[in-house]
Amino acid sequence: MTRTCIKLLCTLLPLAWTSTAAAQPLVEEDLAMAYGDKATVSIATGTQQALRRAPAVATVITAADIAAMGAVNLDEVMETVPGVHVARKGTANTALYVMRGVFDANNPQILMLQNGIPMTLMFLGNKGDVWSGLPLDNVARIEIIRGPGSALYGADAYAGVINIITRTAADTHGTDIGVRAGSFGTWDTWVQHGGKLGPMDIAAYLRVGDTDGPKETIAADAQTLRDRTSGRPPASLAPGPMNLGRDAVDASLDLGYDKWRFRGGYKLRDKVGLGAGIGSALDPTSWAKSERVTADLSWLDPHIARDWGLGFTASYLHYADTVPTNLLLAPPGAKLGATVFPDGQIGGPNKWERQVRLSAYAIYSGFADHSLRFGAGHDDLNMYKTATYKNYLINQTTGAVTLTGPVADYSVIQPFMLPQRRKVSYAYIQDEWHFSRDWTLTAGVRHDAYSDVGGTTNPRLALVWDASHDITAKLLAGQAFRAPSFNELYGINNPVNKGNPALKPETNSTLEAAFSWQARKDMQVNVNYFRYTMKNAIRAVANTPGSMLTTYANSGEQQGRGFELETVWDVSRSLRVTANYSHQRSTDSATNTDAGYAPRNHLYARGDWRFTGGWQLSPQVNWVADRKRAFGDARADVPNYTSVDLTLRSERNKGHWDFAASIRNLFNATILEPSLAPGTAIPNDLPQAGRSFYLQATYSL
Amino acid sequence: MNPSHTARLGLSLAAFWLAACIGPAMASTASQVPHAITVIYSETDKKAADEIEPIIVAIENDKDLIVYRVRVATGMELAANEARSSGHVNPSANTGAGGIAVIYPDVSEPYRSVFARIIEGIEEQSRSRVARFVLSANLNPEDISNELRRQNVRVVIVLGRNGLKAATGLDRDIGVIAGGVLSIPEADARNISVLSLAPDPALLFARLKAFMPAAKRVFVVYDPNQNAWLLRLAKEAARTRGLELVSHEASDLKTALRIYQDIFASADPRTDALWLPQDSTTVDEASVLPLVLQETWGRNLVFFSSNVAHVRRGALFSLYPDNVEIGRHLANSALGYLSSGGQGPRGVLPLKAVRLAVNARTAGHLGINLAGNQIALIFPEQ
Repeated sequence: MTRTCIKLLCTLLPLAWTSTAAAQPLVEEDLAMAYGDKATVSIATGTQQALRRAPAVATVITAADIAAMGAVNLDEVMETVPGVHVARKGTANTALYVMRGVFDANNPQILMLQNGIPMTLMFLGNKGDVWSGLPLDNVARIEIIRGPGSALYGADAYAGVINIITRTAADTHGTDIGVRAGSFGTWDTWVQHGGKLGPMDIAAYLRVGDTDGPKETIAADAQTLRDRTSGRPPASLAPGPMNLGRDAVDASLDLGYDKWRFRGGYKLRDKVGLGAGIGSALDPTSWAKSERVTADLSWLDPHIARDWGLGFTASYLHYADTVPTNLLLAPPGAKLGATVFPDGQIGGPNKWERQVRLSAYAIYSGFADHSLRFGAGHDDLNMYKTATYKNYLINQTTGAVTLTGPVADYSVIQPFMLPQRRKVSYAYIQDEWHFSRDWTLTAGVRHDAYSDVGGTTNPRLALVWDASHDITAKLLAGQAFRAPSFNELYGINNPVNKGNPALKPETNSTLEAAFSWQARKDMQVNVNYFRYTMKNAIRAVANTPGSMLTTYANSGEQQGRGFELETVWDVSRSLRVTANYSHQRSTDSATNTDAGYAPRNHLYARGDWRFTGGWQLSPQVNWVADRKRAFGDARADVPNYTSVDLTLRSERNKGHWDFAASIRNLFNATILEPSLAPGTAIPNDLPQAGRSFYLQATYSL
Repeated sequence: MNPSHTARLGLSLAAFWLAACIGPAMASTASQVPHAITVIYSETDKKAADEIEPIIVAIENDKDLIVYRVRVATGMELAANEARSSGHVNPSANTGAGGIAVIYPDVSEPYRSVFARIIEGIEEQSRSRVARFVLSANLNPEDISNELRRQNVRVVIVLGRNGLKAATGLDRDIGVIAGGVLSIPEADARNISVLSLAPDPALLFARLKAFMPAAKRVFVVYDPNQNAWLLRLAKEAARTRGLELVSHEASDLKTALRIYQDIFASADPRTDALWLPQDSTTVDEASVLPLVLQETWGRNLVFFSSNVAHVRRGALFSLYPDNVEIGRHLANSALGYLSSGGQGPRGVLPLKAVRLAVNARTAGHLGINLAGNQIALIFPEQ
């Protein structure tokens, strides 16, 4: 592999230097003096700039950043954001975007938006477990807000908000066709187009790809432990490889006309491997499928009348999460309690969701020194159908499972969940008050009324001081909430966790101080300090002390503090260095121990070096350190790791072709993400991909 | 597919000449006499002939028109010249390009998008797909000339300084409209029309007065080699707005820095403002900009710039190009050239197709209310 990588570099680097692209310094000089540096040009030529909604600690990742880091998947971008580490869930190796130490096995504390519309699914309150990544070829920009955002965004803007802005006709000119192939039998091909259709702006994107996924070995799984006491031949399939193959289709259509915009989207993930298995037991043959169809229509007029701006959005989502092959919860021959399952314990939870969201807002700037923003909306969130197939029944008192014979439809007899529906109405108001020269106070509050878990009111306050021409200081305070997921509320007949309809939203109060300093003409430095308190955190609590059977309850409390330091330094016209360091300490208040999972220290740095012939070489390094175990997990700390990636790409300087090559985890570092406490299910954590590479070619018509 | 290939394909499909013949019959001006149209097409271009057939049939159905079909074995250019030399025929060509071509350099993103949007505006305004020539090492001026001649292009829009350079080698009877450049030597601009990327000082000053009604003086430091033409316009524009333009010439950075220091020492923030033009001599990013940012903030002095990136750094406002609108303007100039038979304005024009970028932080510091303004870009972004 090393040899392959070296050969690849030896081939590409001379190609880079001998590129026939003629530099256009004079032209670019003129353009730079009119439009500014490249970053400003991108903003000035795009459809719209980042949302200036409220003061916050935020990071904006542009399409140029994405290309430089060689990222092809959202997960790779998120790992570069200060305060964020991408952990993994055993099931399907699904990414968990852990912000500032707030960890949960399902990651519902992050609000994910696509073009401002929540991607949240009701079952687990997250982006969906059959997620299998999000491609970035069609992404114009990603905005990440750390800290609480519920005063504007509502539920789940708890630890942070990720808003993915897709490309419009203004971001794509003509037609691009791309193909990418790399390790693990991965390939992707896509086509995207931007242009005019009569008076209408049109942008379209289609991507098809599949992968076998990395085959990292799970040395021992939940069945390994059961085998030790079963008195039977081992049934566990461990040691064995994680199953991470998948097929993917992504498509989108974006139409813009005057003040109107319509977006349609389709995301299919098929033949999705279950990673370390849904029951923490290897499942090499089963697979899941998810299908997401979205449509939204919006209208926006920022100057509808003097001092007034107005906008509204209506959106629709249909999501199907199915398991066409049913899933192995335990492998063939497994003995569960007193029962032996010759074909394994098999389950097939299927669910379908339909969501309609309506929202409107207005901005009024008619009062001197004030800018008011207020809005209201209504969401109809309907998990309208569930289906349960399995070959067992659960004793609801003891949790014991009994083999019932062949797999059958238990949707009526003993479903994992019945259809559920939630309606939410909300209203918010925010005032940005410029009360004194260089001082601005932004105050906002939002009330959400839930049909199932009551009402919640969340305020936010931001004081901004423009201390000098090159220093800005912010003091931010806010409260956020996360609504319980349907699984936490209504989960039934689960072998381990039981839902609790009496749950209330969990809350998070955060205080932040942030400084932004233009240290030199070519160097920007940002630093922030934060502390937070989570209350009524929803945890699975043992029904009786020591029992494996649990019920969700508002029982947790967690406190955390830390800081993030980031800098961008344009060392020269051809070299830019981006770096950030994050530190956090989060403590479970009940046990006064580290909350676990998240790294206390995290460092990321990247250099973007543009050299002759319009090529760019970007090495990046990522150091993840000091991940403690949660209370009750006796294992040693999760090992630190340092990974290095290297990306070489052309910058569209010549003709119609573009090329990129990237080596991920160049030095083949061992990367482990923590399995859930107490570590009896997957004792040796979740191994992540070793060294890999891809090559990419794009042709622009 | 290469756009120039696409254009060629389109052109070959339309490789016929539609010669409107206001012949002897027309000359008699007898209204009863039908107009005569001669369609000349090449026998070697079967495909084009097939495609035009339905159109010709449709024309033939008009009882007021007589259509003569002339199939020639020679090249179309020769046939057209022959037709023209007869003195009775006024040939007009359907090249599929409307007689306009765009020549532009192959630059990297994001500047590539700038040119793409300008071309979008050109096509929108000219209501046709224009012939595109992307400058590259493989395309020399002679090739361009030949291709323009073959397509009967009579006016080219050149973008960027490299495009302008390529245009110098073209036939003299081809009109040249230039865009995507800041300025060119005045001697070179005598025969062509140049739309500069420099925002019109009149618009800058109008915007200044809107934000700062009490403004009386505007300071500017410029290099006469780069901006003498702009300053002539600026002085006139300032006078119109009731402003005094206090301009200082500086042909090197050291002199410029000294002048800036003097300005800061004497400026009155209640009535004075500073303007940074697009000038590589007097507006140095490493020394001048930090000084200007620090001094203007400390003294509460309004400073605006012709470079939108300076707004990101702390200038109160800038006017930056509206690319599609620039394209429309260039197309209008080209169409004007065609319709006037080669006549049209010459010289450098400042940019009027602009959008407003504002720094809200600086506005807050200066106590300027931004409400009610049509702002396209607001900085800082967060």
